Amino acid sequence: MFDLLKGLALTLKYNIGALTDSDSVAGKGIYTEQYPKVRPDVAPRFHGAPRLNMDPETHDTLCIACNLCAIACPEDCIDVIPMDVEIIVAGKPRKKKVLDEFIFDTSRCMFCALCQEACPTYCLELTQDFELATYSRGGFVWNREMLEQGRETVKYTE
Amino acid sequence: MLLFAPINFIDQLLLKAGLDAATINHVIWPFIQIGLLVTVVALWVAYATYLERKISAFMQARLGPMRVGPWGLLQPIADGIKLLTKEDFIPEKADRWIFFFAPYIAVASAFIVFSVIPFGPDWAVVTDINIGVLFVLAVSSVGVLALILAGWSSNSKYSLLGALRSSAQMISYEVAMGLSLIGALMFARTLSLSGIVTAQQTDAIWFVVYQPVGFLIFLVSGIAENNRAPFDLPEAESELVAGFHTEYSGFRWSLFFMAEYAAMVIVSAVAVTLYLGGWYFPLVYRLTEARGYHNLYVVVSLLVFITKVLIVLYLYFWLRWTLPRFRYDQLMDIGWKWLIPSALINIALSGLSIFLLQALDGWQGIKLIDSLSQGLNLTAYGKALMIVFGLLGLLITGALLARINWRSRDFNLKSQRRTIRTVNLPKGQPAVPVAAKG
Repeated sequence: MFDLLKGLALTLKYNIGALTDSDSVAGKGIYTEQYPKVRPDVAPRFHGAPRLNMDPETHDTLCIACNLCAIACPEDCIDVIPMDVEIIVAGKPRKKKVLDEFIFDTSRCMFCALCQEACPTYCLELTQDFELATYSRGGFVWNREMLEQGRETVKYTE
Repeated sequence: MLLFAPINFIDQLLLKAGLDAATINHVIWPFIQIGLLVTVVALWVAYATYLERKISAFMQARLGPMRVGPWGLLQPIADGIKLLTKEDFIPEKADRWIFFFAPYIAVASAFIVFSVIPFGPDWAVVTDINIGVLFVLAVSSVGVLALILAGWSSNSKYSLLGALRSSAQMISYEVAMGLSLIGALMFARTLSLSGIVTAQQTDAIWFVVYQPVGFLIFLVSGIAENNRAPFDLPEAESELVAGFHTEYSGFRWSLFFMAEYAAMVIVSAVAVTLYLGGWYFPLVYRLTEARGYHNLYVVVSLLVFITKVLIVLYLYFWLRWTLPRFRYDQLMDIGWKWLIPSALINIALSGLSIFLLQALDGWQGIKLIDSLSQGLNLTAYGKALMIVFGLLGLLITGALLARINWRSRDFNLKSQRRTIRTVNLPKGQPAVPVAAKG
């Protein structure tokens, strides 16, 4: 008899907790994340879409075309295409290798972040964006501009 | 008041159209009331499903319907449209006409009862029959017929078994329901539902405090009558697919669904009327009618009634989403071995307590009874004593029930404990039955 009342008290507590909703925990609030309307919280270390970072002031890419990320990738989905530019160092013209094009195939990527760990300049980073769906196979292959600027995602709120 | 101008306006219009006052009051207005009632009840039943989904969701720390309209408020309408547009098929070997009529019988029997329930004092009740309680019980019993017809006509084993189980359950609990009402009727001394509420009003008491046992029995048997959890084995999806409405789809199924929810609202309304004071609430009369605001009085009483019914409905949802369901034999046990005896004991004890009250009246100068003309009007002492009798009745009923059911298998678990014999089992050897040693 009393366990019936205890059970009823528990559901009542959950009900009142859901109505007052202080915390997203069962008994004190509601677990549900209304996904398309609300961006769900993912962990700060979540491995999502890749991004090539740029220097905040000069807006030059931080990538030095060292190819370490492509070597580290277990899926071979990164292709770093360098090019040589002429620079003057101490009065003498020298050749410097810079990044020309960066191809990243997100359909093959398994988001292990080995490339992020391998990058010496903290240029390649996996962000928290998980909405990577496209309408064509080709849309999965990202080029340098997409990697640097990010992609337009559809917004369902406002 | 401006709020009630439409009523007076319609009255004036009808009078001008040449109808006399008697016709208007007894023919036209009841039709308008009936139309309003059916609409309101249909909407109420639809939104009861919405409320159930929301309340069950909150109890489970989730949100319930949120997408269809703001806060999911248009969900019942979306459900209705979906059900209307489903294919309407009748199984091939099913009995066509009975299959066709069964849902309508269920819905009709559920909806007809609303015409006698007193939603409020003056014009808020469609009709006031002298034998209201009997009418309610009789008409809601017709629902069982619809159940059996549906199960039989579906020509399917699940439906038939579900219908038989369900109807057996319903008729078992109807006995307990009817008997438990007698307790409250002893105090009201009238079968008319409006009269019962008026008795509670003049007595300024809710009968639940005199009759806690009766209230509990009525609620439990009402929940079982409606095939609601924890008594919902006939509808248990894991066991009988969907019971008697397995073969129904689309709108026919939704009629059964509506009948079930309407029956829930009816049982809540009858429980509120008989035990929880109906539309009576302590200060309402003094604040409205006594100052001349008649229509306001009716509207406030209506709101009071609706609030109480909503609270009892919440109890329905609360029980459904908390408790696991009863096994069928436990269910029938409860109906016949626990509720009916306790209802009978309740009647006997109520009669005894009224008799004792009348006998003790005037003892040592304490006056217990005010008058016996309209119901049982008691003084404050009388009420206190009656409440004490009610609680005592709870204890006595519990003790007697335990005594009656002492040997029943599920109840007395202690007597089922047997001494445990350890079998001589060498390690690693298969268990071999030991020859019984004496």
